[in-house]
Amino acid sequence: MALTICLSIAAVLFGIGLYGVISQTNLVMIMMGVELMLAAAMLNLVAFWRLLHPHTYALQLFVLVVMTVMALEAAVGFALATQRFRSRGSVEVEEAADLKENA
Amino acid sequence: MTPLQLLFLGVFGLAAVWFGWRVFRTKSMVRSALSLLAAMVALGGMFLALDAEFLGVLQIMMMAGEMSIMAFFMMMYMMDPGGMSSMNMTHQQRPAAAVGIGAGVLVLALALLTPWPPAQALAPSATQQNHDLGIELMTRSMMIFETAGTSILVAMIAAVATALAYPQQPD
Repeated sequence: MALTICLSIAAVLFGIGLYGVISQTNLVMIMMGVELMLAAAMLNLVAFWRLLHPHTYALQLFVLVVMTVMALEAAVGFALATQRFRSRGSVEVEEAADLKENA
Repeated sequence: MTPLQLLFLGVFGLAAVWFGWRVFRTKSMVRSALSLLAAMVALGGMFLALDAEFLGVLQIMMMAGEMSIMAFFMMMYMMDPGGMSSMNMTHQQRPAAAVGIGAGVLVLALALLTPWPPAQALAPSATQQNHDLGIELMTRSMMIFETAGTSILVAMIAAVATALAYPQQPD
């Protein structure tokens, strides 16, 4: 029961995050979608730890690693946004066609 | 799991889904950063209801910091952070919704159709968890933990190097 609740909510969050990544035009909003998807993965891991293997602490460690990945994604993403804003004055992906080859 | 824990799990879960949805449904970017923060805090509440006290508190604290920084960056880089003009911030709505719903349904089916082993009734106490997690971090999983630390350092250097201003090349 509890496992079903957790996994269903994580699945819905993952779907919302994927929708956001594809539909948003702003780099910062796209990063928010990625964060939601990573959060869904974390919820799965905590549910697996608590309900299937409460004595395996490698699962808790895995949650810590995913949390690290979330922070790193934000740091590097904001660095890219800063550089893009410096050189082009906008972080809209619609205006980033010059990153494409032969554009 | 006690019925009270199940109830909190459901309530926090629905809150997380609602706020996660609000992130992409509002014109104001500051509001969507705060919605994401609320979704992350609801997730932290779910971790607490799942007896993972350390991870729950860590999640709430880290996300509070991260999302407030995100709100600042939004105000810096958005043309219209408050959503005052009705600017369209989305593209390819239809395929995005199709892919999102498709992936969500796929994962949901996977979660519901897999024959999971029976759930464990009891979790270690919070003190025992912290002790054992510390032992795990410093013995068997030490290399993984150290690698996570090193990748934070690498990302910090990479982020600063990427964001530095460089003189424009005359072309």
